[in-house]
Amino acid sequence: MRHRPKDLLICCGLAVLLLTFAEGRSVRHSGNEMSAGWERTLVLAVGNPAGWLADRLPLADAASALSKALKPGEDLSGGGAGSFANAGSRTATAGGVPPVTPDAFDPRALGQKPPSPRPLKTVLVTGDSMSQPLDAEVARSLTPKGIKVFRDAHIGTGISDTSLVDWGKLSLLQVKKDRPDAVVMFMGANEGFPMKVAAGEVKCCTAAWAAEYAYRARRMMDTYRRGGVARVFWLLLPAPRSKARQDIARVVNAALYTAASPYRAQVRILDMGAIFTPGGHYRDAMSVGGREQIVRQADGVHLNGTGSRLAADRVVAALRGDFTGP
Amino acid sequence: MGGGSASATTTGERRFVPSETLRFRPFATMVFPSIEFAVFFPPVLALNWLLMSRPRLHKPFILFCSYVFYAAANPKFCLLLGGVTLGNQAAATLIDRSDSARRRKAIVTAAVVLNLLTLGVFKYYGFFAQDVNDLLDSFGLGLPIPLVTIALPIGLSFFVFQAISYTVDVYRGLCERAKTIDVALYLSFFPHLVAGPIVRAREFLPQLASPRDPAQVAIGTGVFLVGLGLVKKVVIADFLARHVVDPTFAVPEAYGAPDMWLAIYCYAAQIYCDFSGYTDIAIGLALLTGYVFPRNFHSPYRASSFRDFWRRWHMTLSRYLRDFLYIPLGGNRKGKWGTARNLMITMLLGGLWHGAAWGFVLWGGLHGLYLGAERILRDRVKAPPTWVGWLIVLNLVVLAWIPFRAPDLNIAGAFLGRLVHPGALTLLNPGVVIALLLVFGLQLIPERPIEALRMRFENLSPAALGLGLATCIAVVGATVPGQAVPPFIYFQF
Repeated sequence: MRHRPKDLLICCGLAVLLLTFAEGRSVRHSGNEMSAGWERTLVLAVGNPAGWLADRLPLADAASALSKALKPGEDLSGGGAGSFANAGSRTATAGGVPPVTPDAFDPRALGQKPPSPRPLKTVLVTGDSMSQPLDAEVARSLTPKGIKVFRDAHIGTGISDTSLVDWGKLSLLQVKKDRPDAVVMFMGANEGFPMKVAAGEVKCCTAAWAAEYAYRARRMMDTYRRGGVARVFWLLLPAPRSKARQDIARVVNAALYTAASPYRAQVRILDMGAIFTPGGHYRDAMSVGGREQIVRQADGVHLNGTGSRLAADRVVAALRGDFTGP
Repeated sequence: MGGGSASATTTGERRFVPSETLRFRPFATMVFPSIEFAVFFPPVLALNWLLMSRPRLHKPFILFCSYVFYAAANPKFCLLLGGVTLGNQAAATLIDRSDSARRRKAIVTAAVVLNLLTLGVFKYYGFFAQDVNDLLDSFGLGLPIPLVTIALPIGLSFFVFQAISYTVDVYRGLCERAKTIDVALYLSFFPHLVAGPIVRAREFLPQLASPRDPAQVAIGTGVFLVGLGLVKKVVIADFLARHVVDPTFAVPEAYGAPDMWLAIYCYAAQIYCDFSGYTDIAIGLALLTGYVFPRNFHSPYRASSFRDFWRRWHMTLSRYLRDFLYIPLGGNRKGKWGTARNLMITMLLGGLWHGAAWGFVLWGGLHGLYLGAERILRDRVKAPPTWVGWLIVLNLVVLAWIPFRAPDLNIAGAFLGRLVHPGALTLLNPGVVIALLLVFGLQLIPERPIEALRMRFENLSPAALGLGLATCIAVVGATVPGQAVPPFIYFQF
């Protein structure tokens, strides 16, 4: 049977109407997640009224129940235990000055003997798209040595954006689930979003934004170091090609240095810029093993396979400083 | 793209961060299973039919929508798409106006070379520059070619091939020179813009010549294909990728032979569901807008010979390579060994078309070898029973997917090594079993049940179709994990 255009409009109109009632909240939520631009305006133009309608009809609750039953994994977006939204007091100090603990010092920096390396059994490699294929390279290097490597990349996420994944919440879940001896973290391809703080909102790339970013990263570092039992290897961003991204990367790197300062005994900062973009100058290719090779992806942000192998070598070398086995 | 966030620093310096730099989206585009597309398509569809009877408004409107769709990936790529369109239209115009056969041949040759050059610069520069440099270096010749990376515009391989098809078909007299807006629409029409199917100019341009007949809208088939494609991509392909394929191909060393064998069958199922799912949606959307695309898959894992496989897998690419490469090379008119050579060249270049990596070339080479050997052995060895042929073809096709999927040849080698390494079967679960049974099982049974299901859709009332489509989208959407649907595999080609 062939239909007429009127039938097509009835069919699609009904589908759109039902989906509006059932998924209107999702459309609104997705629109709110998107960065500013015409796509966001378009989605919100539909999402806001659709969400308003969905709030008033029971179909959305049924769809939500269905989604909970079928959706794999947990809801990692903002809110709940460990979320950055539950910031607590960012200025809790005694007498206005935060206390300095021994964890702030790497014994080597004090000329003391570091603790004897212990066997490495489990490593978690995580982050956003920057952590791929680094995670696979680290795993390929360590797995034959009997070390269990967990890989947990969350593409399109960032510390400054909690709409898709709240890394405060996720880091807690990761530690609870895997209890890794070491955590390798590489992220920063999606940073620069405005962040909510007690006084309102801070925008990139001000000192206030860097402070909030450092605060969030510090909370994650504290979670990953598990009270001093585990070690954290956090990779700084090599300079990206675009000027706008370079501005963000510079501030992210500065924030990470500051974030790690109370935990120098357990948190290692690995400077990828020194390897890939010395002096902050972007380059697609560099000498690797005596041969000039491309190390970045065409997007000018990520490392390619060769670059990731180099970064993984650096990570494994750093792991050897704290553990036996790698 | 507008907007952004501007703020004053404590030093008074004003910093500005363009909004599009914030979220990095690999192969970003308005993918079909996304909120953006769900918002984009219904009004486009409605206006498409409202304006259909007024070609002066209808064509610019669809063209505008297609460019908006493409601009979601990167607005700069629209310039390239526009350039390829105008360049090929200029060549077709010159061919059309020329009476000299020699001149016409020179123009078509120049057009094809320019198209391939465009493809070469954007897709293959880094690949060849690296290898040519290494080769020169090994001979002690210090002739460095600059090593730079160039962003690959999404869908480039598809629209460049279609542009060549238009110019060559005009040259061969198989289609007439079309209006510029028709050519622009042919190359940019959003349902097939980013990953095909590769529609030939002579198939699509006649459909633009007159308004589509509103009494001939195959809504049932369109809705059926959109729903089927969504299920294939989101429910089956992405599930298999997450649970089996991605972990094993990333770190083959972590798994034993049972998991690795499972992984290659899962990848065979994943790539079929991913690509044929995309194609189903594309064909379904085109049908709903009134246009017909050719079929691209026909139960490929049912093939009992390699020739049969290539008549069922990515059919629009197969026939393209046949018409524009294999036959001009001499086809099967050059004796058995000449045919085998032509098959090998065709398949090697077909492999390279998929991407600038030796894994794709090796995959193409393996298929060239399979096809050539089949051709040579055909008259010398008695044909095996159909089921034996099917078993051989299926397993050799599945093995050839290893270099295609592996990130590089080292990992492909490691993967092959693990196929005989003892170990436990750790990745099998009921979901994987059901997915594999669905993918391979449905291809082996006679097609009648699926065809019957499609016919049932065709006979449903518009309200029932709308309800079915909404339910399908809601259920499929509910299975998507926390983040968005991963891009289709063929977007990177």
